[in-house]
Amino acid sequence: MASDPTTIRTQAALRSKRYALDDVMAAQEFFHSRGWTDGLPVVPPTPQAVEACLEWVLMPPEQLLGIEPVRQRPITAEKLAVNAVMAGCLPMHFPVVVTAFSAMLQEPFLLHGATASTGGCAILIVVNGPIRQELGMSGGFNALGPSDRATTVIGRAIRLILYNLLDARPGEVDRSTLGHPGKFSYCVAEDEEHSTWRPLAEERGIPPQASAVTVLAAGAPRQIMNEWTTQPEEILDTVVAEIRANMRHYSIWPGNYALVLPPQLRAHFERAGWSKAEVRRYVAQNARIRRSEWAECGKGSVVGERGEREYAAFTDENDVLVVAAGGPAGGFGAVIPPWYGNKSRAVTLAIGACVDCAS
Amino acid sequence: MHDAIIGEQLGLPSAGIMTSNFVSAAELMARALGAEGTRFVVIEHPISSASPEALAERARAAAVDCDAVLRGAPR
Repeated sequence: MASDPTTIRTQAALRSKRYALDDVMAAQEFFHSRGWTDGLPVVPPTPQAVEACLEWVLMPPEQLLGIEPVRQRPITAEKLAVNAVMAGCLPMHFPVVVTAFSAMLQEPFLLHGATASTGGCAILIVVNGPIRQELGMSGGFNALGPSDRATTVIGRAIRLILYNLLDARPGEVDRSTLGHPGKFSYCVAEDEEHSTWRPLAEERGIPPQASAVTVLAAGAPRQIMNEWTTQPEEILDTVVAEIRANMRHYSIWPGNYALVLPPQLRAHFERAGWSKAEVRRYVAQNARIRRSEWAECGKGSVVGERGEREYAAFTDENDVLVVAAGGPAGGFGAVIPPWYGNKSRAVTLAIGACVDCAS
Repeated sequence: MHDAIIGEQLGLPSAGIMTSNFVSAAELMARALGAEGTRFVVIEHPISSASPEALAERARAAAVDCDAVLRGAPR
């Protein structure tokens, strides 16, 4: 180690407080007692493990990734790395964590609101590009669940960062009434290999073949199923019905909705020659309700004089985020609604760290 | 609470209004902004399902309390 000047530099610069604990079980109890975990066991963030993450992204510990806008808290690479290790990340996962959190720090994301609100959203992370394969992210079976190691630990790292750097613990900054299971981990890799569609990041302006992360302040997935048609319009009518249900039952405001479509449904779009753009157009044109519909579901008191006013789920068809993911069989898709309309916008960032420049 | 504290820091007399269920959140925000002990007005929770009459009553009470906060009256 002493012969590696880079290691010497970063080790010397780590500034986090250190604790000496007897063993790994003592570490678990210590971390739990401090309120530093989500209730699951953590990997003790040893200096060596934190160093390894920083080395991987070629960042010094004090590298400033941004300032949390409401409380002006500086977010450094070292603190992200500590939490990434705790979540179970290997160094190779860390570039995704850094980029995802950097995206969340962008002003349009409205980080404080999205993490403090009673609405209880979680941060959905969509990963695109070659890094998915390097990390073994599948985007196939169980795509929105624990599909593989990388998606699980990356999503969890974001939650622990929110806990420990922004105090977004239940009852502290996090005021969620219910929350949802995605708050443990909410990460999906797009299944680019089994799709003819352009990847989400590319559709949002990232150059082809670049790895990238899209973050969305999102509610829980609302699963749909339609195995009884081959017509794109009819499949999307089911999707639209679910969006309309969300507008009726949860929030009427327009925003970024993510649509997750599996191979069995995508095959019908591909046969019909529908690109993601056509999917977006159809959904944006049809996902709308009248305010008077609220009276059908118990919200009549707020219909007021605007009952005939039409509300669209999208002010721009590009707000529809189409993601190819899911196991090979089954006509199941998902609508992932925004936390609170356009208050928080999805943000896409390229993964800037060169993780394999030498090869 | 954040806006009220920032307003005060900018020289704009401000009084934050919280519903009772958000008192701890307001106190936490004040601590986070280095303004622990900042006074604010508390009204009954929730407001979203309150009748217009009940809301008006809370507004009347809040106006009185806001006046006290803005004048710097003791707790």
